Amino acid sequence: MNTLELNKLTIVEALAGLKAKEFSVLELVNSCLLQIEKLDPQFKVLITITKDLALQKAKELDNEFATKGESIFDEKPLFGIPYIAKDNYSTKDILTTASSKILDNYYPPFDATAIKKLNDSGAILLGKANMDAFAHGSSTETSDFFTTKNPWNIKKVPGGSSGGSAAAVIADMCLFATGSETGGSTRGPASWCGVTGIKPTYGRISRYGIVAMASSTDSPGPLAKTVEDAALVLKVMSGKDPLDATSNPIDVPDFITEMRYYSLKGVKIGKPKSYFNIDLEPETKQKVEEAIEVFKELGAEIVEIDLLDPKYAIAVYTILQRSEVSSNLARLTGVRYGNTRDTFGFEAKKRIMLGTYALSSGYYDAYYSKAQKVRTLIIESFTKAFEQVDLIIAPSMPCVAMDLGANESSSMFGELIDMLNEPSCISGNPGVSIPCGFSKGLPVGVQIIGEMNDESSVLGALHKFQEVTDFHKQRPEL
Amino acid sequence: MSTITKEDLNHIAKLSNLPLRDGEDEVFSQLLSDTISYVKVLEELDTSNVNETYQVTGLVNVYQKEDENVATLSQEDALKNANSVEKGLMVTKGVFDRS
Repeated sequence: MNTLELNKLTIVEALAGLKAKEFSVLELVNSCLLQIEKLDPQFKVLITITKDLALQKAKELDNEFATKGESIFDEKPLFGIPYIAKDNYSTKDILTTASSKILDNYYPPFDATAIKKLNDSGAILLGKANMDAFAHGSSTETSDFFTTKNPWNIKKVPGGSSGGSAAAVIADMCLFATGSETGGSTRGPASWCGVTGIKPTYGRISRYGIVAMASSTDSPGPLAKTVEDAALVLKVMSGKDPLDATSNPIDVPDFITEMRYYSLKGVKIGKPKSYFNIDLEPETKQKVEEAIEVFKELGAEIVEIDLLDPKYAIAVYTILQRSEVSSNLARLTGVRYGNTRDTFGFEAKKRIMLGTYALSSGYYDAYYSKAQKVRTLIIESFTKAFEQVDLIIAPSMPCVAMDLGANESSSMFGELIDMLNEPSCISGNPGVSIPCGFSKGLPVGVQIIGEMNDESSVLGALHKFQEVTDFHKQRPEL
Repeated sequence: MSTITKEDLNHIAKLSNLPLRDGEDEVFSQLLSDTISYVKVLEELDTSNVNETYQVTGLVNVYQKEDENVATLSQEDALKNANSVEKGLMVTKGVFDRS
């Protein structure tokens, strides 16, 4: 294999190649670093590149393999796999800004639990990805530093807030990346960049050390080139963490095995009328309908179902997210770390103030309490649907990647564009987006939503889809 | 018509401890009013017999075991990012006027 193209491998392929000694960890890391050097100036994906640390760890791992032999792959399931972390993941002694100026000098004294788990499993951090500042947005345009460009078309946004992470994966700068989703921030950019993005069940992956947005829906998760790869990373990142009281105490399933043995024969997939009746771009709708045909051919039965109109989820999300933001960002005072509050960007200020308003005396019942009651209705609507069907299918986004400047289109741009992801964020259900076709040269995403804690079925169904299609293998010409 | 006036906005900014730039009160009062008028869509739903769900895990009374919490910082690490440090402590603005 040409060592210059090792960056294009999937995790599964890279692990096999490393094990067979076809190439070294150092060569794999170098090929990713070369791709970063080539493309980052143009697409503005990364805020920090940790080249020296990555090269050092690569050499250490090569030595470890030489000493310990193949058993190292059982001990470290992501042995030698280069990755990029969204910049809201705390990384010990490595700049962590969450793309905000108020944190432009913050070097966390600890690793986020998810980062620690990845590093302990042998994964190698290459850098930190750009995002919407504090994850407040769906295009990376609210980053206080710069906007990431979509590798499929430099005039388009990559989606957000995990836009840098999604762009890094489709541009083969790394083998996977971490993202986080509060209301669409992983599935959205995964859809617009054409990669696999997992929003796990709320609590599946610890939030400890991830710069908080809305704590009651914040869900970290991986972005990868295939469903299989994403499942491998999910397994490593998941698990109960004593440092996050809301982390899920149940045992982490063996996603890979359950996914591989999954069969779509006789599986009922719900098609929510309310999700398909919104103003969907015709080509997006058509590609998702074509994907539904593939699921039918694989043995699934498609059943039309009722789910609460996503327009209510937009409103619930807007209130809850801003309320929790106002509380979470109150801690940034410039005393313990970061700069003073006058350095907050426009979007953060807007959200903090709306949240403060919604929580203030006299308005609490009308907004915050009302939204939490409607959250109950959203959960009930999913529970009822899952009495009829095993999985739910929908477009991930109403359209393909938008032009640069998308964020200016509405003061609620992010909330409106993420409307098909917000309901399952509010309810905590897992959802995964994968590419299912192209429109105007840009990827279209389809998502499957599952019951609480049932990522395995979601991943299984989408893995079966990827076994018979090749949308996930398409790459932009770079 | 704005539901949030410039005066309201300045009050909210004060509660939020956010210094505003010139003219921002006008811009933000308009944007916040727009958002508030959007979220009124929730009034369409009858929630008179519905309870709030504040978090979805159903977990209650989750405590750390004493021997599990290993994530403490040394004084040196805790002060590393502080804006101003004196005698091993972080310096903050005075809360009370002692003059």
